[in-house]
Amino acid sequence: MKALRRKYPLWLKIIFGMILGIIYGLIAVRFNLENFTANWVKPWGTIFIKLLKLVAVPLIFVSLVKGITSITEISKLSRIGLKTILLYITTTMVAIIIGLIMVNVVKPGSSFSEEKRMEFQTKYQQTITDKEAAAEDIKGGSPLIFFEELVPDNIVGAAGDNSRMLQIIFFSILFSIAIIILEAKKVTVVKGLFDGLNDIILKIVDMIMGYAPIGVFALLSSLITEFSGDADLFIALGKYAALTIVGILFLIFFVYPAYLKIFTKVRISEFFRAVMPAQMVAFTTSSSAATLPVTLRQCTEKLKISRSVANFVLPVGVTINMDASAFYQAVSAVFIAQVFGLDLTITQQLTILLTATLASIGSPGIPGGAVIMLVIVLTSVGIPAEGLALIMGIERPLDMVRTMANITGDAAVATIVASSENEIGTDNDDDADQSEL
Amino acid sequence: MWKKLPLWVKIITGMILGFAWGMIAVKIGLSKFTLDWVKPWGTIFLKLLKLIAVPLIFVSLVKGISSLTDISKLSRIGIKTISYYIASTLIATFFGLLLVNTIRPGDTFPDEKREEFMGEWSQTVNEKQQFAASADKSPLLFFEEMVPDNIFNALGDNSKMLQIIFFSILFALAMVMIPFERVKTVRRVFDNLNDIVLKIVELIMKFTPIGVFGLMAGVVVDFAGDSDIFVALGKYFFTVMFGLLFMIIFVYPVYLKIFTRKIGVFRFLRALLPAQIVAFSTSSSAAALPVNLRQNTQELGISEEVANFVLPVGVTINMDATAFYQAVAAVFIAQVYGIDLTVAQQLTIVLTATLSSIGAPGVPGGSIVLIIMVLTSVGLPIEGLALILGVDRPLDMLRSVVNITGDSTVDCIVAYSENEIKLPEK
Repeated sequence: MKALRRKYPLWLKIIFGMILGIIYGLIAVRFNLENFTANWVKPWGTIFIKLLKLVAVPLIFVSLVKGITSITEISKLSRIGLKTILLYITTTMVAIIIGLIMVNVVKPGSSFSEEKRMEFQTKYQQTITDKEAAAEDIKGGSPLIFFEELVPDNIVGAAGDNSRMLQIIFFSILFSIAIIILEAKKVTVVKGLFDGLNDIILKIVDMIMGYAPIGVFALLSSLITEFSGDADLFIALGKYAALTIVGILFLIFFVYPAYLKIFTKVRISEFFRAVMPAQMVAFTTSSSAATLPVTLRQCTEKLKISRSVANFVLPVGVTINMDASAFYQAVSAVFIAQVFGLDLTITQQLTILLTATLASIGSPGIPGGAVIMLVIVLTSVGIPAEGLALIMGIERPLDMVRTMANITGDAAVATIVASSENEIGTDNDDDADQSEL
Repeated sequence: MWKKLPLWVKIITGMILGFAWGMIAVKIGLSKFTLDWVKPWGTIFLKLLKLIAVPLIFVSLVKGISSLTDISKLSRIGIKTISYYIASTLIATFFGLLLVNTIRPGDTFPDEKREEFMGEWSQTVNEKQQFAASADKSPLLFFEEMVPDNIFNALGDNSKMLQIIFFSILFALAMVMIPFERVKTVRRVFDNLNDIVLKIVELIMKFTPIGVFGLMAGVVVDFAGDSDIFVALGKYFFTVMFGLLFMIIFVYPVYLKIFTRKIGVFRFLRALLPAQIVAFSTSSSAAALPVNLRQNTQELGISEEVANFVLPVGVTINMDATAFYQAVAAVFIAQVYGIDLTVAQQLTIVLTATLSSIGAPGVPGGSIVLIIMVLTSVGLPIEGLALILGVDRPLDMLRSVVNITGDSTVDCIVAYSENEIKLPEK
């Protein structure tokens, strides 16, 4: 039996944990076991959330530094590099804004009746009062206060406070830029240190994710008992899943084609015909990195993008361009807020926009990476992180669709860059371009 | 000539002078003067020790565990050894708690005096009561509280020792699981940091005589020259000594009797005696190691392969007596200050004492920093350290004896269970 358990992939175990958690939760509500659950089951979930939060700050710092220093080395040398990165960041932000609009309009988490909402609000009262106080501050202050708040005045202080993620991100970027500007040999030790730390932190994330099935079980059971087994919760979850999928498909079949129409002369049908095999691989593997060889081949052979452009733009995209993941972070964060009856101010939604963008740049492509990024987004605006138990079970199927969209976005940007540099359409099956790259 | 005296002599001198000063000051009304001009030096000393506690714990735990788990990953003997070591340390800690809670050496004050002190420390007491109240909420809260949700926050708070330890272990385990080459730089950084931190400890220890003088004078004045405190101290000293001797003469032989059958207790103790004497006079398990090795392999017939692994590992991670001592010292200090410890807190002491004895560097004075760690983790006033610092050295000598005896006991047990021991023909 134990051997069997070991053979199941992690995402399957998480789904088990989730299903068992739901079943247990419903039973507990039936038999009035709320107190027991709160005392004996919930702590395991709290520990899981604490572990995720624990690793969030080091992860964001170390992987942002590592990510930025490895990329900006290249881009500091070329105009194509800068173009690429600007395009990537812009597409990510657009994706997030679309997500925010969609989730605020459809409001999948608000399927509860008014009294239920008041009930939840009192449960999470403290977070709400904090938020109201923050809102008051903002109203009185200047509109630029948002940028003021972005800059920490003490990095250790900022690092010690999970709600100041944006400040930590700001410092990480500043730090990375300084590293890049300095001569390579002056910073080799620091770089080696960050590489090593990066590996260690990723390994810790691995270990924490191994605990995820139990954590999800505990969180979900206690959430259900706290929400008194309300079936409305599952309606909300269904709406959320549908919204996410619709949104991502919208990105693929509408937004990217729109970009292509505006910035290139490539025909939409041609683009899709070329990209489809890569999309299939992405869907089945859930990994942009694994799909990369296919994406490369399709872009160079079918779309006729020059090899030198593709070989730069696509790998960079795998690391930093994850439109759909960012979209997902934003939608999930607001969904969770809606479920807990929390209203988000404009400033907070702006914070989500920024954090999700930067987080998707620094986000490592490992299982669990997305969950921690979500924890980062949630804590930076003060949404209770326990809510992620709701969405963790369906993370995997959504991941498949997300990856599909991510590589489509990479390919679209590659096409745009190639078009703008006239590096597309020539017959380049056997050339080895010596471009300024 | 003063400079040439060994450090421990200077420390005892400082303690005696501090005590004398304190008594005189109380008699001739110099109490306030002492508190203003003498005690601060003691406070500075304490702050220095607290300062170095967190870096020391973090760096040496990571270094200790990452070098250790290299070994255990590979062998069943390794895992057995470590389990026995940890078990014996836990038992020693529990034994210490039992002893100190039964004998209660710190309870030598009449009730009114206690109330007086409690008034002074009322803030700490209140915090503790709040903590105790929250412990009613969920028994699992203890484990929840052990996991930090932000490492920098935890590092910045001396009372979150358990969280720091938890993270250090997590970090070290992850580091071990990654191929050496990839984390080479990180390891080197920790090695260097370890050296630096130990050097800082050494520097701080040089300040100890003055620090103890200040602390001692301060404590005597605080307790208004009450000599009861020294009755308590005497009881404490004897409690520790009794406990340690009990471990050598009773506890370890019992382990031997249970887990091995043919190793005679007298033969065991006789074989170990030379090593114990070296440990006693040097106060160092590391210094006694060569002798211990020789005695284990030649007199007790343990195979070199086993002894060469188990004993050095024991020098690093198995310090039953140190853990025992920390538990007793912490509870003693609590008793002197009239603070009652809840079950959760005693549990915390067990954990912190055990974990710290594993990560404990074999530096003289290192164990003092560790006591600070144990004290802060349950919110006890660190000033109490002044009481026990003076008698630390003689107890240290005895502690080393017990530590290496414990190492050898586990060596015998492991060797016996692996059939790696040559027993004499009857």
